Amino acid sequence: MKERVVVTGMGVISSIGKNINEFTASLKVGRSGIGRIYNAFDPPISVSIAAEIQGISFDAYLEGCAYSTEIPPGFTNEVKQCARRAPFAVQGSITAAIEAWSHAQLFKNTLAPERVGIIIAGNNLTEHYQYGLYEKFKQTPEYLSPTYALHYLDTDQVGILSQIFKIRGEGFTVGGASASGNIGILKGFQLIQLGLVDVCMVIGSMAHLSPMELQGFYNIGAMGGKRFINEPEKACRPFDREHEGFIYGQASGCLVLESFKSASAREVSKLAEISGGALVLDGNHLSDPNEAGEIRAMETALNQALIDTYDVNYINTHGTSSPKGDEIELKAIRKVFKRKTLDIWINATKALTGHCLYSAGVIEAIATIIQMNEGFVHPNINLDNPIESDFKFSGKELTKASIPIALSNSFGFGGINTSIVLQKVK
Amino acid sequence: MSKESVFQVIKESIVDILPEISTNQIEIALSLQDLGANSIDRMDIIIRSMESLGVKIPLVELARVSNIQGLVDLFYERARA
Repeated sequence: MKERVVVTGMGVISSIGKNINEFTASLKVGRSGIGRIYNAFDPPISVSIAAEIQGISFDAYLEGCAYSTEIPPGFTNEVKQCARRAPFAVQGSITAAIEAWSHAQLFKNTLAPERVGIIIAGNNLTEHYQYGLYEKFKQTPEYLSPTYALHYLDTDQVGILSQIFKIRGEGFTVGGASASGNIGILKGFQLIQLGLVDVCMVIGSMAHLSPMELQGFYNIGAMGGKRFINEPEKACRPFDREHEGFIYGQASGCLVLESFKSASAREVSKLAEISGGALVLDGNHLSDPNEAGEIRAMETALNQALIDTYDVNYINTHGTSSPKGDEIELKAIRKVFKRKTLDIWINATKALTGHCLYSAGVIEAIATIIQMNEGFVHPNINLDNPIESDFKFSGKELTKASIPIALSNSFGFGGINTSIVLQKVK
Repeated sequence: MSKESVFQVIKESIVDILPEISTNQIEIALSLQDLGANSIDRMDIIIRSMESLGVKIPLVELARVSNIQGLVDLFYERARA
């Protein structure tokens, strides 16, 4: 008998909220985090709008933590020691993890460290950090900080987070481009199902891109933001006739996954159950989406969760605002759910957060769990003229909704398709 | 540049890298290890100091240095050269 897996903690830092409460409030009112890029790049690039995390100081955040009664004394000193000068993406992961850990009551209620695992979702996590050092490196390579040899590794996040949170079970990074977040959740789910750990911290790492990656996405034709350049909050328009590509977003998210048994023994709230998930490949190295692969991901996830298509109430779509991607995803949903599409709520969190790439799956799982537990679907703020009519898209305002069972999709370049099933805990 | 100002530069690098140390705790006879610097902190302090002073010293030459005094002497000698 496989272990049941539940979520017992969540944390987030994003362009629309620097914690779960703020993020929830933004989902409810449909606040967009997309705006003009704060600091112009050198050299100037073709991308000028994004959903950036702004107005956050890691030092100030840690000062605040030092006053929290939830967080043990000495903890923030350890964090400072490991991460005061770490790249922004690492600091984002720590911030989200502290909230989730505290939410899951794991600071006061510790488990055997060997029974706790950690997964960092995302690949190529240090692009911005490396780009920032390059200019000086060309002049004086001798002065490169020795910490570069630690920080440039994606697994630096595994090392830092496991040290801070005293995690001694399995730990690794998983890469799957924009599907990374869902893959992280899926692998954490499987570690617990297999009984290898009782708790797994799953972190969706911020994609802190350098101007080179942004220009690359622009040049490959994946980015939007041209027509609505002067109204950035309207630029991300999943499933709308005027969609033209994704808008880059920054967010770090953390889910604490735990076996049902362990959560019951600790008497902590079970925020949702993860009842299935699937990762399937198209066998395609390019960026184009594939209907058959998306169908297979959703069907496999539902089969694994033993859930009938008729029982699904809500789909948090991959919905990036890319014309081809949006069109194919709706086709795939129609094939899987047939006539039932008129009864399933559909929205796209990326309209608010931008496309957070590696962390998107984790951020959208968090958005799904919040909507489930609070009984609403967040608005599709820019959906003026849907490309298809036979779907139940959420409107421009918050709508009350009962969501016992939900699906969350994430698809990545390279033919990577994922879908996970979340449900209320019975 | 005097030895005192070289020491000052090293002190600044130390407090940058070791947030829990204040400048008045840094005595010239101590080693970086005595101040709680791990091996990477030590390299970071040395490289930052070299950068501030504009000197480039092959890292193998640092092997013979055992405390902050040794660093000051070595940096002072190379900064003048």
